[in-house]
Amino acid sequence: MKKFIFKIGVYGILLALGMELLVRVFHLHNERPERYLDELQVEKWVPNQTGLSVTGNRKQNVGKYRINQIGFNSVYDTYIPQDDELDVALVGDSFIEGFHQDYDRSLGQKVERLLDNRVKVFEYGYAGYDLADQLHLIKTYDSIFKKIDYTVIYMRFTDDLTRDTYAVSERLSLNTPVNRILKEIKTVVYLKDVGLFDPITQTMGSLMSLIKGGAKQPTNISKPDPDKVNAKRLENFKRLVAEYGFDKDKNILLLDARLCSEEFLDYLKKNGFKTLDFSKAFEASKTPTDLNYDQHWNDHGRELLAQLIADYVKSKM
Amino acid sequence: MIFNSIEFFIFLPIVFTLFWLFGRKSAKTQNLILLVASYVFYGWWDYRFLSLIILSTIVDFIVGREIHKYQDKKHQKRWLTFSLVFNLGLLGFFKYFDFFVESFVSAFSFAGMQMEHSWTLDIVLPVGISFYTFQTLSYSLDIYRGQLKPTKSLLAFATYVAFFPQLVAGPIERASQLLPQITDLKKFRYCQAVEGLKLMLWGLFKKVAIADALAPMVDDIFQNAGIYPSTTLALGAILFGFQIYGDFSGYSDIAIGTSKLFGVELMSNFKFPYLSRNIAEFWRRWHISLSTWFRDYLYIPLGGSKAGRNKAVRNIFIIFLVSGFWHGANWTFVIWGLFHAILFLPLFYLNKNRNYLESPNLFSSTRTFFVEGFQMLSTFVLVTLGWIFFRSETLSDAVIFFKRMLFGFTHGAYLHPSGYRMVDYYVLLIGFAIFEYIIRKDERNPIGFKNRYVRFLIYLVLILLMILFYDDGVDRSFIYFQF
Repeated sequence: MKKFIFKIGVYGILLALGMELLVRVFHLHNERPERYLDELQVEKWVPNQTGLSVTGNRKQNVGKYRINQIGFNSVYDTYIPQDDELDVALVGDSFIEGFHQDYDRSLGQKVERLLDNRVKVFEYGYAGYDLADQLHLIKTYDSIFKKIDYTVIYMRFTDDLTRDTYAVSERLSLNTPVNRILKEIKTVVYLKDVGLFDPITQTMGSLMSLIKGGAKQPTNISKPDPDKVNAKRLENFKRLVAEYGFDKDKNILLLDARLCSEEFLDYLKKNGFKTLDFSKAFEASKTPTDLNYDQHWNDHGRELLAQLIADYVKSKM
Repeated sequence: MIFNSIEFFIFLPIVFTLFWLFGRKSAKTQNLILLVASYVFYGWWDYRFLSLIILSTIVDFIVGREIHKYQDKKHQKRWLTFSLVFNLGLLGFFKYFDFFVESFVSAFSFAGMQMEHSWTLDIVLPVGISFYTFQTLSYSLDIYRGQLKPTKSLLAFATYVAFFPQLVAGPIERASQLLPQITDLKKFRYCQAVEGLKLMLWGLFKKVAIADALAPMVDDIFQNAGIYPSTTLALGAILFGFQIYGDFSGYSDIAIGTSKLFGVELMSNFKFPYLSRNIAEFWRRWHISLSTWFRDYLYIPLGGSKAGRNKAVRNIFIIFLVSGFWHGANWTFVIWGLFHAILFLPLFYLNKNRNYLESPNLFSSTRTFFVEGFQMLSTFVLVTLGWIFFRSETLSDAVIFFKRMLFGFTHGAYLHPSGYRMVDYYVLLIGFAIFEYIIRKDERNPIGFKNRYVRFLIYLVLILLMILFYDDGVDRSFIYFQF
């Protein structure tokens, strides 16, 4: 019996080491860069990091990222808008951040190429940003943004209007020393990303609640009224715009009208907000616009969006 | 609780430790620990249905003693009938009641008479009922046939009925094989425990990397059979063949492996069925515990093959139909059984149903390679066609599937519902088939390579493959739980 238990232990350790080796050799793990909060309370990536963003059990999607000196994924080391040239900023969440693609094939790069490199596109994408984050960023970096000619803000109506003011997100609390150590064990990173730890955490959660006497779950969770939710989103939009300001001449909202409520679209129209709606271009596309596995825009989707943005900028040139 | 859950990974080491810590010297203590563990294991799913197991245990324990007590055949028969009525009644009520009501009403509607009814009860099928009722029945039947003496210990008998590794999906053990092991003091054997762990790993691999990985594609193709081209439907049928094999044989391997950790040997349930060279061989290799159960307790008592040609044919049809019906209250299973009976019949008439008793060896000669290779392939195709009935929700679904697949050839590339690369799965299945061929000699020792480095490499690759093909969106329960 002793031999059996001893051997299980030895084999367990050897298998764990073997797995770590295989995960590293085949680079199955995702290299997530470090986050931080800068002195102006803007959450972004720690500057000057490079790596591979890997998603899926079998590396279904791989993208090279390069965090610049400002803290965003970009081909440019830094953003210095020039007065004598046309500068465009792209602000948004993971779709703009673009870890799902190589950084030199980003949406911004595609726009530049379509405009024969006569325009510089600075990308301010960060996974998890909502409109509060985005407007806070633009306001805080006012000295940069006022030099930029056009700012395209990507906004998903259904996800990005859940709050009416900016507050530092809880994402940063993930940067604990334990998490930093665990990040060095690539097998752990990999297993966590593919969802293998979910059943463990769920089981532990149920066990804990069982030990604590079982917190009773409400039995009747009624579905929120969609009209009320949409009205709240519109209200949040109004408050955010009022609090952080919104330059209607320079700022353009990039959105998918299929996700927006009629009231919201009417409000934008009546109040002079410029929008770029990509729903029609996506609907008309005969080939898929999203990645199969990752669900972000694929190369073709980004081409369509780049064309839309480039056409807009061209019309203003 | 299911084998591929976190709960089981916590539960098993606890039971293992308690069992060997406190039960080393007493079979009674061992059985008590196993019985409590088994009831916890089953009760984790739904503790209310434990009452059925307990009731079934008590009834057959008493019946066994009574049959043995009376030497008079009339009395014995009466007690045996009681056991049969009770166990089959239990099964019939929980598994087949709604089916019979609906079939009865459908038959009336077919005859042009409409019937309004509210007789169906929407009864929940207790997990494992088809397995443990057959196991308790075998106890009474063996005693009646004088092949077994009843046990005096209710604790041992209850442990035999509820033994958690094989409680919910078999292998369906005979009392004469399992009960003596339960009654005796179980001793820890290092080699047996190591073999058990290897089998568990192999079974888990088949479940996670084969069955669960293929499940989303199979579900997608069978649910949209009316849309997909014929080549995709053929792919769906093949994938289901691998899925159900991975799922059920994976479960059986984990069950056998887990039992070994407690010093108990269960019978083999699968012996590489897709390497069979004809349908008869397939049935000697697929779900062995059920097919031998039907052979011993139904086919042979009916006269088997010695009762004359016509009766033998009748008996063959009976066991295949009953075997199909055992799987579930649906005409699809009955037709599946009938389909296999029809495939089996020519072999029986040609006296070829006892051919190929040994493992295949494709590379023994060029002729063998081509002849036996072709036989294996054609058997696989026939079995795969049968799976279409088995997997379809209704008979009309199966007919649509066949019609679209076999008539009017259409082709289109199939895309995984979640967008994964299909080639990954093809490589996995080809590799799996090759590995199964390599290890074909001993289904109880799949990783029995002599070189320890090779063994270690295989452990590592199996674990890696399980992670590579792990799909967190899949329902991880076993297919055979519904039977």
